[in-house]
Amino acid sequence: MSSRALRQPLSLRLTSNIFLTFWCLVAIFPIFWITVMSFKSPVDAFDSNALNVIFGPTTLSNGNGLSLLDIILGIAVIWGTIALVSKKMPAMIKAYSKEGQEWFGWVIGILAAAVGFLVVFFVILPAILSVLNPLFGPLGRDILGLTTEHYKTVWIDRGFSNNFKNSLIVTSGVVILSLSVGTLAGYGLARSGSNLAFWLLIVALIFRALPPSALVASYLPVFISSSEWLAPILGENAPTLYGKPFAVIAVLVAINQPFTIWMLRSFFQNIPAELDEAARVDGCNHFQAFRRVIMPVMWPGVITTGLFSFLLAYNDILVTSLLLDAQNQTMVPAIVGMFNRETTTTDQVVAVAAAVSITAPLIFLVLIFQRQIVSGLTAGAVKG
Amino acid sequence: MNFRTFAAFVGPSVFMMLLFIAFPLVSVFKQSFYVTQPLYESVEIETCTPGFLTQTCVTETVSQPQLDEEGKIITQTQFVGWESYRNVLEPERAWRAISDGNWNVLSTINFWKALRFTLTFTLITLPLVIVCGLGIAVMINNAAQAIRGPVIFISLLPFIITPVIGVLSVNWLFRGDGILTALLEWWLNRDIALFAQAWTIEILMMLYRVWHVAPFAAIVFYAGLQTVNQDSLESAVIDGATRWQRMKYIVIPHLMPLIIFVSMIHLMDSYRVFEEIVGFASQGYVISLQWLTYDFLVPDQAGNRSISRASASAMLTMIGIAILLIFPLRRTWRDHKGGH
Amino acid sequence: MKLKTILMAGAMSFAAAAAWADCAYENEVPLKSLSAGFEAWKAVTDAMAECGNFSASLDQEFREKQPEAFAANPALYQIGGVANETMIPLLNAGSLRPLDDLVEKYGQDLLPNQLIKVDGKIMAIAMMVNAQHLMYRSDVLADLGIEEPKTYDDVLVAAAKIKEAGVMNYPIGGTFKTGWNLAQEFVNMYMGEGGEFFGEGNQPSINNEQGVKALETMKAMTEFMDPEYLVSDSTYVQQQFQQGKIAMANLWASRAAAMNDETESQVVGKVTMASAPMGAAAPSTTIWWDGVVLAANMSDEEADAAFRLVMEGMDGEMVSANNDVAVWLSPAYTPGDLAAGAAASAENGAKAYPASAPMGVLHSALGNGLADYLTGAKDAQTTLADIEAEYLTAAKEAGLINN
Repeated sequence: MSSRALRQPLSLRLTSNIFLTFWCLVAIFPIFWITVMSFKSPVDAFDSNALNVIFGPTTLSNGNGLSLLDIILGIAVIWGTIALVSKKMPAMIKAYSKEGQEWFGWVIGILAAAVGFLVVFFVILPAILSVLNPLFGPLGRDILGLTTEHYKTVWIDRGFSNNFKNSLIVTSGVVILSLSVGTLAGYGLARSGSNLAFWLLIVALIFRALPPSALVASYLPVFISSSEWLAPILGENAPTLYGKPFAVIAVLVAINQPFTIWMLRSFFQNIPAELDEAARVDGCNHFQAFRRVIMPVMWPGVITTGLFSFLLAYNDILVTSLLLDAQNQTMVPAIVGMFNRETTTTDQVVAVAAAVSITAPLIFLVLIFQRQIVSGLTAGAVKG
Repeated sequence: MNFRTFAAFVGPSVFMMLLFIAFPLVSVFKQSFYVTQPLYESVEIETCTPGFLTQTCVTETVSQPQLDEEGKIITQTQFVGWESYRNVLEPERAWRAISDGNWNVLSTINFWKALRFTLTFTLITLPLVIVCGLGIAVMINNAAQAIRGPVIFISLLPFIITPVIGVLSVNWLFRGDGILTALLEWWLNRDIALFAQAWTIEILMMLYRVWHVAPFAAIVFYAGLQTVNQDSLESAVIDGATRWQRMKYIVIPHLMPLIIFVSMIHLMDSYRVFEEIVGFASQGYVISLQWLTYDFLVPDQAGNRSISRASASAMLTMIGIAILLIFPLRRTWRDHKGGH
Repeated sequence: MKLKTILMAGAMSFAAAAAWADCAYENEVPLKSLSAGFEAWKAVTDAMAECGNFSASLDQEFREKQPEAFAANPALYQIGGVANETMIPLLNAGSLRPLDDLVEKYGQDLLPNQLIKVDGKIMAIAMMVNAQHLMYRSDVLADLGIEEPKTYDDVLVAAAKIKEAGVMNYPIGGTFKTGWNLAQEFVNMYMGEGGEFFGEGNQPSINNEQGVKALETMKAMTEFMDPEYLVSDSTYVQQQFQQGKIAMANLWASRAAAMNDETESQVVGKVTMASAPMGAAAPSTTIWWDGVVLAANMSDEEADAAFRLVMEGMDGEMVSANNDVAVWLSPAYTPGDLAAGAAASAENGAKAYPASAPMGVLHSALGNGLADYLTGAKDAQTTLADIEAEYLTAAKEAGLINN
């Protein structure tokens, strides 16, 4: 696609690539660093000498470490897994799964790969290494301090998996509801040239400008006493909205609506109106046209918008920390709670491990949907 | 599309926004003109609390709210007009400071202090985000096809990371003898305390925000760059346009709607800057308008909160954003009308 | 699938078996609690959970949620964790159940000291006390031939000597984080100087000699502190201590155990706990308590079960298992060296934190206003006058002062 005329001189490409490398370093460094910290003993994690944090001498002297051999084999297994998944798996899935059911094959394939990796990496590899390490002399001696105890504390002792489950419920609820309500509205707004549509968008924008803390604080008393004021309508079964994930989902969807409808509206505007007009000439009404003509082509934009909804719900702390009780609490407020609690340094490293844990799903998500995000944005989800 | 169909399409969305945003918004608006307070009475009460080994009992006069027969606190609601706005803005004090030409005094009045920082923050990070985003997007576009994927992936990380976590990790890198501060100290060979004065904290906050938001701008611009008309670029080359001229006359105008979109989002978000204040614990040096609202709203240890002033401050924040948004919005209006 | 089911069942039965292992009885009434989240609450609620049918919310937003949740009918939480100051809103709203009958029934093991009485009625059961007191590096001070500091002047002299000897750049640590912590430091100093916070009708009265003296002492201390003092909270000061970066700090008694924690401290056994430095009138500290309250809006049956559960959670077994986590109020508590500082402060006449509704407002105003003095934006009198003005605005809005 790039022609000879647009080719760039070497010097420019070199500078550009150097800057890009620099940016990548800046982008990844803080995340890399907290990941390193989460594997160290508290003394090492907060050391002011960067090398001590990386090599973890105290962690090492506590008997937790990796030898050169561990590192080499570990990297080999990770690399092997990646190679296997990216090279062999697509072909295998094609070969074994039925026509039209490839997604099912993918699910099975990914699950199998994940389980296989976990077993090899955490069960088989350590067993082999415990035999090999003493045989290799200096190669087998521990050189890098590393401990996974903080992750064990987070996930096993602190019951973080419960928070994880709650986050999953809230986040998936928000994404699904927000998209189903938002696509309809976005489509309606895109196809209506009335002044009302414009002012609706402006009002939505102003809604988005409202400081969320002011809104959220006014929910709390209403949500807590809801069983009292809902009783005349719903009688005995009137629910207490406070602490219920569905109430939080509704609030987050509403707060996220302005952004969602703006994104989806501009996306729908870039789908030629002739498409659905043609369908309507064939006798469809607006809803049928939407279902038959628009829905098949809207997925890139919906996925992109969905990712933003996901980020909002997953990262939210203001609404979830105030309106959910501990049993239904999501991950981010739980982590902030860990930091704010009267803590020891160990607790802080445990919280860092929790922070790294919640970043991992986000990274996977971007890995999977990266291509769709770019194509969704390219297809016009953001034309202003 | 007739009105009924339109209403059916947007109905659910509008209903949710009305219920969860518009309705609270009206109450916030109303509360900014009213003050609701319990009716206190003075009573003499003996209170016994534990000391270390023995109990101490004191009898003193305390203010206690009166309760009705059902045991609820009796409250009274008063219309106070603009008083809460006055209490937030402190116009007399501010005016005195201005007419004395004493900016230091003005910058110790909470609202003006917060406004000063919020505006600086918003207006400095805006161009930085646009320029960095554009730069990264162009550079990614220049890079070889094979490395684009991984680079986009890495670039997105700062954007997707949970803001609270992001702030905290930057905090650890710089706070006290955090490794980056230690590195700076070693390099400059002097003692550095980045959290000991306002301007360094402000720079850190802005850098953090740019780090966090520039990827979003970059990915949006990168998507826009994919649709630049290659023919017009090539004919520009044939006409002898330099690289810079092509950028200025073809690429930037093509990206303009996206630049406005990103600016709008960024204006709204950075005017409500909050996580940075809490994460960097900068209240002693700089505060933002959103933090001020939050501070009024959070109950103190004894449960008192300044709802009325919080509402007034929230309304003022909204007005501020509305003013900032007028410029980009004029264009949307034209597009909206022009598109049909 | 089968394997998973078996594993789950196994885990469940194991958990169930563990759940009632250490509890004297089985709790059958479903109960919930809402409290702050620090270590002592974790210990107590874990002990309560052993009896089953109980779930604890250790929530950092508890201050915001508690008044609303206890006012609801029926209350959303039956058991609440409060401190001196956070009990006030619940007490004022009449959301607390008097405990006299229950204490009579189940409270044989309670010390008289634990019963919080308001107007003759028992409204809360205290479980621990906490106070800030001086912690210092005995090795560093002994090396330089410095006596244990008794007043802040002593502290400052010692700090100057340590700095001069080149042992440490910043010998003093302080919980000076803007907001609640900073205000608490002022309250300590001001009480030490013997100041009164309020005059007639909740009018503020801090703009006086004692107030200025308190501010000046604080400023003098900051000369010897890490310049980032306005962002340092207790955890940070504790960390500085553990890393051997500071030699003296007025730190919470609940933090004392961390100094001797082998896994993270580099100064094990080198930190001595002493009384808070004396002001003109009293030690510069305030005594806080944490305790349990029960909601008024629940049935007598629930209240009975809740109180029984609370007693089980605070029993001697729990206290001896977590002896160093806090300064417990319990016959089973054995005060060790770590509690010596709190005890000495109390002996020297430390006062309780003067909890009240106006004090809550003033504490917030102090927290926001004091930094301007320490950064040099205002002088002492202006700072105090501005804090009083801010207090007046907020107190009027809260209805505590009549116009």
